[in-house]
Amino acid sequence: MKLREYEAKNVIKAAGIPVPAGFLIRSADELTPHLGELGDAFVLKAQVDVGGRGKAGGILMADKATGTKVAQELFAKEIKGLPVKEILAEKRLSIQHEYYLSITVDRSSKQPLILFTEAGGVEIEVTAKEHPELIKKVVANPLMKELPPFMLRELMGSAPKEIGPIINKLYRIFLEKDALLAEINPLVTTPDGVFAADAKIIVDDNALGRQGITVNRDLSPREREAEKHGFSYVELDGAIGVIGNGAGLTMATLDLIEYYGGKAANFLDVGGGAESERVKNAVQLVASVPTVKVIVVNLLGGITKCDEVAKGIIAAGISQKVIVRLAGTNEAEGRRLLSEKGYEMLDTMDLVVKKAVEVTS
Amino acid sequence: MIYGDKNTGVLVQGATGKQGEFHIGLMNTYAKQVGGKGVVAGVTPGKGGQQVHGVPVYNTVKEAMKHHDIGASVIFVPAGAAADAIMEEAHAGITTIVCITEHMPVQDSMKAIAYARMEGASVIGPNCPGLLSPGEVKMGIMPAGLFKRGNVGVISRSGTLTYEVVDELTRAGIGQSTVIGIGGDPVIGQTFMDVLERFEKDPETKAVVLVGEVGGNLEEEGAKSTSLPIVSYIAGVSAPPDKRMGHAGAIVEGGEGDARSKIARLKKHGVPVASRVSEIPEMVRELFRCGC
Repeated sequence: MKLREYEAKNVIKAAGIPVPAGFLIRSADELTPHLGELGDAFVLKAQVDVGGRGKAGGILMADKATGTKVAQELFAKEIKGLPVKEILAEKRLSIQHEYYLSITVDRSSKQPLILFTEAGGVEIEVTAKEHPELIKKVVANPLMKELPPFMLRELMGSAPKEIGPIINKLYRIFLEKDALLAEINPLVTTPDGVFAADAKIIVDDNALGRQGITVNRDLSPREREAEKHGFSYVELDGAIGVIGNGAGLTMATLDLIEYYGGKAANFLDVGGGAESERVKNAVQLVASVPTVKVIVVNLLGGITKCDEVAKGIIAAGISQKVIVRLAGTNEAEGRRLLSEKGYEMLDTMDLVVKKAVEVTS
Repeated sequence: MIYGDKNTGVLVQGATGKQGEFHIGLMNTYAKQVGGKGVVAGVTPGKGGQQVHGVPVYNTVKEAMKHHDIGASVIFVPAGAAADAIMEEAHAGITTIVCITEHMPVQDSMKAIAYARMEGASVIGPNCPGLLSPGEVKMGIMPAGLFKRGNVGVISRSGTLTYEVVDELTRAGIGQSTVIGIGGDPVIGQTFMDVLERFEKDPETKAVVLVGEVGGNLEEEGAKSTSLPIVSYIAGVSAPPDKRMGHAGAIVEGGEGDARSKIARLKKHGVPVASRVSEIPEMVRELFRCGC
């Protein structure tokens, strides 16, 4: 789950990385009594869960005289379709230079990867493409609690020495906060010292519990409902509902729908050893999506009992058509139960998907 | 064979849990069928002295190692305990560690895999179905009924999708040497490259089916590293960017790991890529026909 900017800044501030003076407001009125605290010029930053918010008008400059009015204006906006409910008000910095610093998970080396460049700022992705040599990279053994000085030298080149401890503090955050990404862009030098002007932290969804995060904000209400049942669920915008077991097989079913010219309404992985109750919940959940006209059930596995799956589908009692492909234990019994009730069963995933695409087109 | 055969004694961690108990039963049924050693010991802290399907359970891995000849292990412990289980086994000297456990935090995987590497152990997984060499050994949760012994190796990041591929191959009369699921997480122990290196040295394996997913570039890395003939399939062509489909492996990373560009890079390297799973058997036959 992605932390909002002010949450990420609270984390790095607590670790001793300087951030600009500022506070969070939930209405323009909350700003008015504090107008004097941020100096003459300050920045208002919408705290919305989308990328590229600056370019979308989510960051506005203000001063003592205009502050309340600019805040009202920003609260009235929608940034990439999202309402602005929280604004971070921050003192403006006199930026001398912008650096980029991030720590992420490197799949190839299976270790934390630290990236640093003296050419930081909003154009970092362009820099990465056009001048990859400007981006210094180091992978670290995750069993080390801090980066040794030689790694910092390799990363920093001639950058100011104060940045060294900041890199190590961010590395500790990366390890301790179960981050998949910890990024400061830009990390800026000013006459008053080094500051993290913006920060981004993505917490591993598999570690939210031990990080004390109870609600995963990245999920839609229906995705959260699915999570309660233990399903992996992603909303899409087609007419064919999909239920599979295993992420790979379910994804392959979606790909096949696209191959045959159809559009999937969702991705739902029920997990292994599905019992009738789970299958019933899954079918009802997918059927509750208004755009779903037909549901493809594609379940395969030695542990999945076909009669249980059949009972679950029948118990769901939904109005949309369900087309089933089942392979596994008790296949004959499952088939018998479903055909008794008039459900359509086909032998391969190609056949069920083709049929579903026919029904919806 | 790669990673193990009939003579490999297997240890199971999390032996007394629901999953552990269920799969010890299935693994040993398979071992009996093929005349293999199968699971010889279980470990659950605090449950030493118990038995699961006649297999003795110990409190620690070291204790189990004292009483049995163990070549590999399979882990069924909960996500929060998996890193500890991997490290305990590596420390005790087990060299092949299969971690079935899903939802393991990435920071834990990185640390446990780094530690195992220092101890000289190979970790398969986490979040994987394990491996099966037909007629020899089953280490994990793959449904044995679908398999047939032969000369095609299968390496996959998925679970059930692997079974789908194996089912297609077997129905087409194409047998398998070893089928291995390496796991769907962003950080996994053995990658395509590591397994391909083993397949190259395995006289039973003449061709390989590589089943990949969106995310990362381990498929391309692997394909470039081997001289074995390969057929590939990549799941997730229809995955919208930035959407997560079941596991972290499906996070599309800044255009790098998306399925289409992955497929394009594989094809550029001369690897045939199937658009549907059902096309795989014919493409494998084609590999054998042209002898390339």
